Amino acid sequence: MSAPTLPDDSAVGPPERLHPLFLVKGIGGSIRGLAGLYAFLGYLVISGQWSFAILAAIASLLFGIVGGILYWRRFEYRVGQSEIRIDSGILSRRHRSIPFERIQDADITQGPLDRLLGIAQVKLETGGGSAGKNAEEGVLQAITLQRAHELRKLIRARRAGTPSVDRQVQEDRLPVYAMDLRRLLIAGAFNFSLAIFAGLIGITQTFGDALGFDPLSERFWRKLLAASAPLQDFALAHRGVVAIAGSTLLVVIGAATGVIRTVLLDFGFRLDRTETGLRRRRGLLTRTDVTLPLKRAQAALVTTGPFRDAFGWSELSLKSLASDEGGRRAHVLAPLAKHEEINHILSELGWRPLPDTPGWRQVSKSYVGAFALAISPLLLPLAVQALVYPPAAIGFAFGLAGAVGLRWLAWKRTAYALDGDRLLVRTGWWRRRLLVLPFARIQSADVTENFVSRRFGTANLKLGVAGGTMAGEIIPAIPSATARQLREQMLSLPA
Amino acid sequence: MPSDEPNLLPVAPGYKNVLRVRMAIAGLVLTGTAFIVDRVLLAPEGYGGLLVGTSLVLAIALIIVAPQRIYRRLRYGVGSHLLQVVRGWLFHTDTVVPLVRVQHLDVVRGPFDKMFGTASLVVHTAGTHNSVVTVPGLAPGRAAEMRDIIREHVGTDAA
Repeated sequence: MSAPTLPDDSAVGPPERLHPLFLVKGIGGSIRGLAGLYAFLGYLVISGQWSFAILAAIASLLFGIVGGILYWRRFEYRVGQSEIRIDSGILSRRHRSIPFERIQDADITQGPLDRLLGIAQVKLETGGGSAGKNAEEGVLQAITLQRAHELRKLIRARRAGTPSVDRQVQEDRLPVYAMDLRRLLIAGAFNFSLAIFAGLIGITQTFGDALGFDPLSERFWRKLLAASAPLQDFALAHRGVVAIAGSTLLVVIGAATGVIRTVLLDFGFRLDRTETGLRRRRGLLTRTDVTLPLKRAQAALVTTGPFRDAFGWSELSLKSLASDEGGRRAHVLAPLAKHEEINHILSELGWRPLPDTPGWRQVSKSYVGAFALAISPLLLPLAVQALVYPPAAIGFAFGLAGAVGLRWLAWKRTAYALDGDRLLVRTGWWRRRLLVLPFARIQSADVTENFVSRRFGTANLKLGVAGGTMAGEIIPAIPSATARQLREQMLSLPA
Repeated sequence: MPSDEPNLLPVAPGYKNVLRVRMAIAGLVLTGTAFIVDRVLLAPEGYGGLLVGTSLVLAIALIIVAPQRIYRRLRYGVGSHLLQVVRGWLFHTDTVVPLVRVQHLDVVRGPFDKMFGTASLVVHTAGTHNSVVTVPGLAPGRAAEMRDIIREHVGTDAA
């Protein structure tokens, strides 16, 4: 082996392998990863080349098994005095060393299979600016759960330079926030989603031709109707009943989707305060255990919708330099919480509670005006349509009016406020968002104008935040002079 | 509050030439594509030369008009703790970066920069949006000088 470290160097620690059960998980993963293979196999099956298809399936299975074994054989990690080393790679070897002071924490994730086998995946959270780009950085795919907890404890002790707080003490403390079953079901009800239909349409679009099943073509429905003539007569005779039954079914499916998704993700949600941050555990089948270091928090985000807002519920998440599981950029701290609970979590973070009346300053009406102007070219096809086929034009006109109306509703809610050393930005009507951004976390500020907004004398103020979206955080449509003044006020404070 | 916005300065005049060369290359690509489309699609229909002519006129207009305007509207400044870059003609952007938030700095010189004696200062911040702010068209000495000014502030942020 071409390891640059001497195998018996005590400063580097003894080499350790992944748990052998990694093979069970890893082979499944490496086979699942070969998406192109399925298309190929599917093609072979459809074109009737069965023997070749079976051969290809066996070959790829072997490939997966051998690949998994080789990966396992060639993967070693060492826990040393001052760093963790990971040597990996089958052909091109990678020797990575991660110093303890760079490791923020260890995230432990257990999928359903992992929990059956008693193993866990450990991700060493280094939280550099490159997080996300290099997600592979420091992931131990499968080690025993016990070893995972040992490792985490060790990392915390090394980081702090002091012995870690006993786990038992932590367990006894009250959680900062937790979800009971009732809360979980309420959250699920608000996550009403018809996404499953979109998914079904996607699947039938992709595979429908092969299955002779294409709900988007008229012929399919004609054939189906012809085959079910008695049903058709019944449906025509009881149109009202069918409509009610259909809508009820939609509502039930939508609600069920929301509840199932929420329960899977947020079951047993619990947030605890640790020495360095907030520790979050959640999940029904896949349990995750993530600690968010306080120092890494960049901005807080309170999101809600018109229905949830009416009941006083909202979600709290945190923008952070580290990325959350599943590539989400914001760490969810509370999926469904009342305002007092959000303030409580913020105070645990060391942030001041949100003021009740922060002195909102509404943005300019040009937020609506410029939007209307931007979509005004669509009036031309509308006029053409009105001449050719008026009914379609009416629908189109309603669509345009609706878009402007929604924009107007959003404008009513779009406002910003200065709260001491932080900025509050409230946007959106359907997706209500409240951003809490400390001035010290603003990385850059753009004032942008274009030839439309200049007519209104307004500009957008775009703020660069670490761990935010590519678009940045925007205060839209404020007078240019105000934008510049605001920017100066926020950035001129000595850091 | 007393204005902390730095005095805005124009960049080196050589940058206009850099822009002209870039525009010329873009124009060449445009005309080349137009030529192929013209030969393949339009010539058999009897409209040959139409597209090539239009794109050639467009490209020449671009080379003559755009660099001057882009240059005139490009301004930059370094203050005691802010870097400001103002640019844009139809879409106007005015960027400010607090010097303490700068993560690292590059001075970049491409082949055209070398030809016309300019350099770009590239400033990296931790932000996801706008994580790279570029000040193009600086005289190389000035770029190095700015880099040294900004470098003093790098990493002084408490966070």
